[in-house]
Amino acid sequence: MASEFELSRNITIGQYVPTGSFIHRLDPRIKLLVFTILVLAIALNTSYVGNALGLLLSIYLFWVSKIPVSYGLSGIKPAIPFIIILAVLQLIFQGNVFSGGTVFFEYGFILITSESIRLVIVSAVRFVEIILLSSVLTLSTSTTELTHAIQSLLSPLKKIKFPVHEISLIITIAIRFVPTFAIEMEKMMKAQASRGADFGSGEWWRIIQRTKDMLPIIIPLFNIALSRAEDLILAMESRCYTPGNERSAYSVYKALVGDYIVLIIGLLLSLLLLFYPFPY
Amino acid sequence: MEPIIALENVSFSYKINETHEVSVLKDVSFSIFPGEYVAIIGHNGSGKSTLSKHLNGLLTPGSGDVWVRGHNTKDASRKLDIRKAVGMVFQHPDNQIVATIVEEDVAFGLENIGVPREEMKQKIDEALEVVKMSEFRKRPPHHLSGGQKQRVAIAGVLAMQPDCIVFDESTSMLDTFGRNEVLQVMRKMNTMGMTIITVTHRMSEAAEADRIIVVEDGKIVMDGKPRDIFKHKEVLMELQLDIPAVSQIAEMVHIQIPNFSKELIQEEELINEIKRVSKARSGEVV
Repeated sequence: MASEFELSRNITIGQYVPTGSFIHRLDPRIKLLVFTILVLAIALNTSYVGNALGLLLSIYLFWVSKIPVSYGLSGIKPAIPFIIILAVLQLIFQGNVFSGGTVFFEYGFILITSESIRLVIVSAVRFVEIILLSSVLTLSTSTTELTHAIQSLLSPLKKIKFPVHEISLIITIAIRFVPTFAIEMEKMMKAQASRGADFGSGEWWRIIQRTKDMLPIIIPLFNIALSRAEDLILAMESRCYTPGNERSAYSVYKALVGDYIVLIIGLLLSLLLLFYPFPY
Repeated sequence: MEPIIALENVSFSYKINETHEVSVLKDVSFSIFPGEYVAIIGHNGSGKSTLSKHLNGLLTPGSGDVWVRGHNTKDASRKLDIRKAVGMVFQHPDNQIVATIVEEDVAFGLENIGVPREEMKQKIDEALEVVKMSEFRKRPPHHLSGGQKQRVAIAGVLAMQPDCIVFDESTSMLDTFGRNEVLQVMRKMNTMGMTIITVTHRMSEAAEADRIIVVEDGKIVMDGKPRDIFKHKEVLMELQLDIPAVSQIAEMVHIQIPNFSKELIQEEELINEIKRVSKARSGEVV
C-alpha cells in the first residue's frame, strides 16, 4: 500500500544508466542526430528483411552500450496494448488500402491479403525497434546532455528567429521540476489519503472513475506549479536572465574522429534501410 | 563613503483592483554601505519582503527612488547593472534552481551576462568552494538536502560577483542544521568583504548582523546595532517580535543576580558571562 505513494522513486524520465561505454561517450549532438535519422529510416522501411535488420541493430546497440536489454523490454511492456490494438485495427481496416498480393480472407468489408499482413507485422516490429532505439538513446545520455544536443542541433534555426535557447530552457526546467512535483504529489496523496480519499483502488479499465479520483490532486498541483513558477521567474530575473539576450554557454562539446565515423556509419545504415530493394 | 543601495522616501502599494490599493511601504529611507551585515526584521505582513524586492529592482517604488551603485532602479536600461551589483537568494530552495546539474545551475547567471567560458569555469569553482559544495558539482539538485540546495543557490549568485547579496527569508524553509550551514556561509562571505542583507523573523539570526532595521506596517521603526535594538524589549513585543533566546536567559538571570549583564545577544557572550560571574562568586565564597 505504501509503495503506491512512492512516486519519486519510480520516475523513469531520463533514467540514465552510467556504464561508461563507447555509446555513452559519444558526442550527444551526433548521438541524437544519428538516432533520429535511424528512427526515421526504420519508420519508412516496409520490408521484412529491413525491419529484421533494424531489430538486430537495436539489440546490438544495447550490447555495445553495455545496458541490459531488459531495460529496453520494460519500456515495451506498457506499449503492448497499443501495439495489439493497432495491429487488430490494421488487420481489419487496411486490407482495401494495401490490397496487393494474395487474398487470404474476405468477408464484407474485411479483406486480408498478404500485403496487409505484412503491414501488421512490420508495424508491430517497427514499434519495438523504435522503442528499443530511443531507450538506448535515453539510457545512455543524461538529460543535460540531451537538452544541450537539442539546443545545438536546433541552433541553425536562430537565423529565422526561432527561439532556440528559450525552447531548450523550457525543456530543461520541465525536466528539472519532474522530481519536485513528484514529491509534491506524493505529499498531497498522503494528505488526502489520511483524510479518507481513495486512490487507485478502482479497476484499471474504469478510466473515467480513476481520472475523477485524481482531481483532488491535480488541481492543487496546478496551483503549486503556478506559484513555483512565479518564484522561479523572480529568481531567474535576479540572476540577469533576459529573454532574447545573447548568452555564453558553459558546456561545449567537441566532436572527435570517432564521432564522425559513427555519424557516417549511421547515415549509411539509414540510406541502406531507406533505398535498398530488400527482396522480402 | 558612497552607499551601495540608497532608498529615498520610497512608497509602494499593490493594486487590488481599479479602485483599491493596499499601501505596503510608506516613505522608507535608508542606505546600505559596503561591507555591512544588515538584518531587516518585522513580523509577517510588515512589508519586509516587498522592501527586499526593491533592493534589486524586482519592484520599483510608486514614489521615491531606489539607487543602486548610482543607478536608479526605475531606469530599465540599467536593470542588468543593478542586478549584477545586488544578487538575491530566495526563500524556497527548490524554486530558484534552474538546471538539472549543480554546476550548470551555478553557470546560469554567468551565461546570462555573457561571461566567456574559461572565466566561467574559474568563477564557478571559486563560488562552489566558498559554499563548500565542490564535491557535489555533477549531482542533480533534487538529490541534495534543503541546506545544500540553498548553498547551491548562493553559489549561483556569488559566482556573478555582486557587491551585495540579499537573503529574502532564505533560512525559513530549512531545518536547524541547514540553517546553520547557510548562516555560516553568510558570515564567511561578509568577512570576505561582501555586503549582506538578510530579511528574517528569527531574532537569533538578526543578532548575527552588525545592524538591524525593524520594519512595521511599511515603515522603519528602529535602525541600529543589535545590542541597542534588543534593549527595547517592550517595543519589540508590541511589534509581535521577540528578542533572542540568549537575551531572554540573560535577563532572567539578571533578575536573580544583578551582577549578571542583561545586554547579551550571542551565545558566546552568554557563556563568557557565566564564566565571569561564577568565577567572581566562587571568590566571594572563599
